[in-house]
Amino acid sequence: MKKNIFTAFFLSLFCLSLSLFPSSALAGEPTNQVKQTVDAVLEVLRNKELKKPDKTEQRRAQIRKIVSERFDFGEMAKRSLAQNWKKRTPEEQKEFVALYTDLLENTYIRKIEKYQDEKIVYGEEKIEGNYASLKTSVITTKEVEIPIEYRLLREGNQWRAYDVVIEGVSLVNNYRNQFNSILRSGSYEDLVKRLKNKTLKEPT
Amino acid sequence: MKKFDLELAVGFFLLIGIICLGYISIKLGKLEVIGGEYYTLYADFAKAGGIKPGSGVEIAGVEVGRVKSIRLDKDYAALVGLEINSDVKIQEDAIASIKTKGLIGERYVEITPGGSDKILGNGGKIRDTESAIDIEELLSKYVFGKV
Repeated sequence: MKKNIFTAFFLSLFCLSLSLFPSSALAGEPTNQVKQTVDAVLEVLRNKELKKPDKTEQRRAQIRKIVSERFDFGEMAKRSLAQNWKKRTPEEQKEFVALYTDLLENTYIRKIEKYQDEKIVYGEEKIEGNYASLKTSVITTKEVEIPIEYRLLREGNQWRAYDVVIEGVSLVNNYRNQFNSILRSGSYEDLVKRLKNKTLKEPT
Repeated sequence: MKKFDLELAVGFFLLIGIICLGYISIKLGKLEVIGGEYYTLYADFAKAGGIKPGSGVEIAGVEVGRVKSIRLDKDYAALVGLEINSDVKIQEDAIASIKTKGLIGERYVEITPGGSDKILGNGGKIRDTESAIDIEELLSKYVFGKV
């Protein structure tokens, strides 16, 4: 008897949780989440108030915040260092993630800021366990289509990107090869120095 | 007696010839007679252009295996089976890319090892892939695109 009550209780709890979070069980969740992030960034970019030159810093900060919620820079840094990640101490790993995040932000934020009403089309989505990939493409004003594929990893009910493949070239693989060759010819300190120089040189 | 010796010698040389032929065809055809120590990994590519069964699989330019099979997946991607030497360990976050030797050379599969603790076993799947880059397509896109 007691067992039955427990079963009924858990069953009702389960049904309740399903009705509360219906989206987490549905397919298309990665697409929705990426779309939300992209839309949020586009909204900031379209905001006329923030387009004024003296607001640049504020605008960048907003974009950074939105993007860092969807992109897992820690995982990206780890995958980019690959074999060398395990050889570093936790402090060094932390420092590296911060440097890597700066590098990506400085490299790409200016590209994002050049946005001029490009269209974004969402394509096929594939989910395999905790991994997903989402194909999108950006159609420029000159009608050139640039395929961009997001590779996502599930954390709780959030999908976060760990790699971006643009025009068939993987961002992580690109950095993995570069870091590898730097580390092969020099020390880890050299790589950190290079990253620091690179992020300092470009005024934000 | 003499006649018998001649026939024996001819037969002997013929036998050597056949053995040599067999050896050469196995060597050149890169066939596996005894099977060798291999395990199979799979990778999905959006485009496997130029890859054929027998194409090389390399890590850092060193051949560690070869392409075993290519077939069309259910969602029209190319599922490539890779035979990897059993003493080479591939991590779960390794990236497989289709590369070209030189500008117009033959295509091969390059694997960049990852840093994960999880090692892929027989029948495992390399999730992250980079497809063959079609230079023609890129050219037409960026050359003719600018009107």
